[in-house]
Amino acid sequence: MAAISAGVASSHVPLLGVAHDQGRDRDLYFAPIFDGFEWTRTWQRRARPDVVILVYNDHSSAFDMRIIPTFAIGCAERFRPADEGWGRRPVPDVIGHPDLAWHMAQSLILDDFDMTIVNEMDVDHGLTVPLTMMFGDVPDWPVRVIPVAVNVVTYPPPSGNRCWALGEAIARAVAGYPEDLNVQIWGTGGMSHQLQGPRAGLINREWDNMFLDGLIGDSDHLRHIPHIEYLRETGSEGIEMVMWLIMRGALGRSTRCLHRHYHVPCSNTAIGHIVLEPQP
Amino acid sequence: MNAPRDMAAHLAELEDIPGTRIFTATRARAGYHLNQFAMSLMTPENRDRWKSDEAAYLDDWPMSAEQKAAVLARDYNLLLDLGGNIYFLSKIFSTDGLSFVDVTSAMAGVSVAQYQRMMSSGGRSPEGCRSVKEGR
Repeated sequence: MAAISAGVASSHVPLLGVAHDQGRDRDLYFAPIFDGFEWTRTWQRRARPDVVILVYNDHSSAFDMRIIPTFAIGCAERFRPADEGWGRRPVPDVIGHPDLAWHMAQSLILDDFDMTIVNEMDVDHGLTVPLTMMFGDVPDWPVRVIPVAVNVVTYPPPSGNRCWALGEAIARAVAGYPEDLNVQIWGTGGMSHQLQGPRAGLINREWDNMFLDGLIGDSDHLRHIPHIEYLRETGSEGIEMVMWLIMRGALGRSTRCLHRHYHVPCSNTAIGHIVLEPQP
Repeated sequence: MNAPRDMAAHLAELEDIPGTRIFTATRARAGYHLNQFAMSLMTPENRDRWKSDEAAYLDDWPMSAEQKAAVLARDYNLLLDLGGNIYFLSKIFSTDGLSFVDVTSAMAGVSVAQYQRMMSSGGRSPEGCRSVKEGR
């Protein structure tokens, strides 16, 4: 049977991709950020997941204003890195797992989550930067990836509670897949940042760490945080953290923290990263 | 059945954050063609055509005169007011060779150096810019 063995969360700032691709990840500015992912890169070589369900948001790359799916699942064989205005990132194509993805889509829809099924799309930094942070410079990604894209751009995004419940439904879908697969689920984006207006640059270290604390253990209070609190406390783009709750929801009743990292700043953003294990 | 949701109260709350334009349905509707124009800059061919004559390129888009003028002026705070979303607008400034920090510092009204100093010392505090009406 397939099972979710771990959950990972990470910011997905595009500048991290640039720093990596240009070999600047060890300079004075970026080293304190990348250092916090070394533990995870080593751990991933032992963890050897077969599939990552990668929850992220598209930044007007694959989706524009014509069609705005709240929850979309990528069922394709392969996804190319998107040209976000400065050419495609020089990273490997992302290889999907259409069997598990279609299984999940069916299971989720029957379980009341009306997913949008995507058979063709490019994936932007929201998806490729976390792969770089977790695996570094590799000729091929060592894992198959099922993209789960969440609308956090056009209001309203899904509530934290709905995201958590989707995570629970994803866990049920994976548990119902007959093949033995080691599956991880990643939630990406955040932590505090605001990329717009006179209030740009907002960072809330205290709130971010409260959120990281809340992912650990058996409390589910994070699922009840309303949108307005993310916006007021962590900036307009801090809302991306609802995607971390899909990851947390999929890990079940309780979690154990294996690794945690927090750093300010990266460009406009507070970098947060955590590795969790489900606790029976 | 639950009571109908008070959408007006919900939206008023989203408008209560100082210095922030949440991308609500009203803005998404007002900015539809503005954002789709910005999106069109994702191909090299369109970027070339845009760079060779910006005003002519904009003529192909059913945007308001105010939106077009704000695009030509690269007035990003005004573009947010007119329905632009920052991820779409980023296609314009990426085409100009600018980074997010170049544009966030301009929107915040400070130099890039000042902005980067603020970020390196922990970023902008939420203290005092959470809510207009509550003054906190």
